[in-house]
Amino acid sequence: MDSQQPLRILIADDTDSDRLILESIVRREGHVPVSVADGRQAVEAFLEQRPDLVLMDALMPVMDGFEAAELIKARAGDELVPIIFLTSLSDTESLVRCLEAGGDDFISKPYNRVILQAKIKAFMRMRDMHRVVQQQRDQISLHNRQLLQEQEVAKKVFDNIAHTGCLDAPNVKYRLSPLAIFNGDVIVAAIRPSGSMMVLLGDFTGHGLPAAVGAMPLANCFYGMVKKGFAMVDILREINQKLKQTLPLGVFCCATMVELNFNSHRARIWNGGLPDCVLYRQRDGSLQPFRSSHLPLGILDDSAFKDDCLHVDMALGDKIYLWSDGIIEARNKSGEMFGEERLLEIFREANDGEAIFHRILDAVDTYCGGERNDDLSLIELTMTEQASVVSPREEPREHRYSGLQEWALSLRLEPSTLRLFDPLPLLLSILVEVPGLSSYSGRLYTLLAELYTNALEHGVLQLDSSLKGTSAGFAEYYRQRQQRLAELAAGHVDIRLRHKLLGNGGELTIIVEDSGPGFDYLQLRPLCPGADQFSGRGLGLIRQLSHAVEYRGNGSEVEVVFQWDAND
Amino acid sequence: MAIQASLSTDCDELIIAIDGRFDFSSHQDFRSSYESLKVRPARYRVDLEGTTYLDSSALGMLLLLRDHAGGSSARIEIVNCNPEVRKILNISNFEQLFEIT
Amino acid sequence: MSDAVDENTLTMLKEVMEDDFGKLIDAYLDDCSRKMPQLPLLLESRDFEQLRRMAHSLKGASSNFGAHALTELCLQIELAAKAGEETGLEALVRAAGAEQQRVADALAAHR
Repeated sequence: MDSQQPLRILIADDTDSDRLILESIVRREGHVPVSVADGRQAVEAFLEQRPDLVLMDALMPVMDGFEAAELIKARAGDELVPIIFLTSLSDTESLVRCLEAGGDDFISKPYNRVILQAKIKAFMRMRDMHRVVQQQRDQISLHNRQLLQEQEVAKKVFDNIAHTGCLDAPNVKYRLSPLAIFNGDVIVAAIRPSGSMMVLLGDFTGHGLPAAVGAMPLANCFYGMVKKGFAMVDILREINQKLKQTLPLGVFCCATMVELNFNSHRARIWNGGLPDCVLYRQRDGSLQPFRSSHLPLGILDDSAFKDDCLHVDMALGDKIYLWSDGIIEARNKSGEMFGEERLLEIFREANDGEAIFHRILDAVDTYCGGERNDDLSLIELTMTEQASVVSPREEPREHRYSGLQEWALSLRLEPSTLRLFDPLPLLLSILVEVPGLSSYSGRLYTLLAELYTNALEHGVLQLDSSLKGTSAGFAEYYRQRQQRLAELAAGHVDIRLRHKLLGNGGELTIIVEDSGPGFDYLQLRPLCPGADQFSGRGLGLIRQLSHAVEYRGNGSEVEVVFQWDAND
Repeated sequence: MAIQASLSTDCDELIIAIDGRFDFSSHQDFRSSYESLKVRPARYRVDLEGTTYLDSSALGMLLLLRDHAGGSSARIEIVNCNPEVRKILNISNFEQLFEIT
Repeated sequence: MSDAVDENTLTMLKEVMEDDFGKLIDAYLDDCSRKMPQLPLLLESRDFEQLRRMAHSLKGASSNFGAHALTELCLQIELAAKAGEETGLEALVRAAGAEQQRVADALAAHR
């Protein structure tokens, strides 16, 4: 409010002459007086007229000034309504009563016009300031509410992505702060088509939104690729590259990724920037730490990225523990950190692996004075039998009708593409969108690879596979391949895919046609070459992996049919 | 994609682990993993645990390794194949040439 | 000139009140003529609390007119009534009545 605007000033005094004087002073200052003669009238006038300032006599009939002041302050709520007591009281006790009743100041009789003016101005400044502070407070609380709502939405989106995984598998225990996404922690877990389990714990630098943005591409990438059966190194590389492209400099993701193979009872571990994770052996209670030996995800270019993993044999019941630094850096009341030593002590004292997970959480919570620590992520992975986790082939049937069903596509690759682009991952990524077909991705890859390689190397590039008869020839063959590709000016490979539903599965037809001169397919050897011949194996593989193979025309077009049944 | 070779402590066995796709693009790395060795290990172990896909040129490369390791007297074990990879090896009758587990 | 009211105070009051000065004096004198006769009656009925309040109110109003002597007398009555000291109260009340008459006369001259 502008201090220059006229104010409404309530005057409560039972003596007519006193009231007249105050009214005059107020009016002369350009304000509007509202006069009443006792406390009750003062409260009523306050409620009706909402004055900006109250001048209140202390001793009045019906209701005295103290009581009226208390009622007015109570009704004013958040609003600052200054009350100035008009008094000829001079004893300390009475002045204290004025203050206790909510009075902000005094004016004593006889009234001094100059002093009263000065006080009115001072209180208006205070009131304006109060209003500004209140507006700012309201604005801040509004923003805060909006922020919390937005966070809630973001969290839901993230939960939807994160919970498509297998975090609820019986061999996984984990704790993740309810607002983990905003302290930068992320846990994703999923089962590959081959049955092994992949788990990633990530800790993005920073807090709040900057820490949260990276979690989405990470989770998307992780789940998409694990489902399609990509290898751990491919997934790490892809996430690294995606984060490197997306995140601003200085934001990156410390992460540990673990793959548990339940058939071979082995684990592979990649740790980039997180604290040591440990393997706890059930048999003797021994601990094996796995130190971070890589840079975090999102820092290095793909060419510099190191994807070598540590391999470790596990026995049934052995457990791997992953944690972010929140657990080590949890602080007690005097600010000391929980530390790695206390953490390892829990393992050393444990005589039963089952209780370790909860013991760690309890120990940290107790250490922090019984308060739940919200910046803490912990995962326990137990080596178990495949069957007790999930059967990897169950999933496609559930989603039988949810993906690509009947469709066809045609792709022509021209020289500039042939030179630099490998179409196989692209084609495979489309094929695995067909529910049920992803479990055959290994066979389909080999089929497509053979067909494409033949079309490119023998059809378009006219390479002679008999070169591959020796080790040196093998190298020479690929040297020539590279050279001819680089010099390639004309030619193409056409790839046509068609899928239709068939019984409980489907039928995929692959047609590959190249611009080469073809070959005499009627003279083809019936089956495999000698088992130890270095080349000439491709056609045999194609025949074995498919249900029908047919060469057409001059031999530069081949059609292959692959049938599959979800009940196989 | 990534090929990692490590020699056992007694230098008797060379372990070659292949992660990702095993195809002609791995050719250089795969070959140098055994050709660059100064010693001649008695046994080889090819770990395909991380291998997602392979094609016929990968089969050719395995045969080159076998040739390098002494042909019919070579002792080469192929371990940790996933079922799809195993199927390709079976189709090619590689169990006659390698010990596949 | 009477010394019942302070001339400086009145001058300032005139400045503040402008045309309403006469109205102010009327209001004060009305107030006094209602309250002053109450004082002896309250004393007689020994209603010290009401006596104190009345004196307090007269004290405040009188101070605004620079009626120093009357203000002081009212203060004495207020204090004595609060303490319940009957002795001397009657004389104070009588003195206040007389002083108020002097104030009324002095103010009448200013109308």
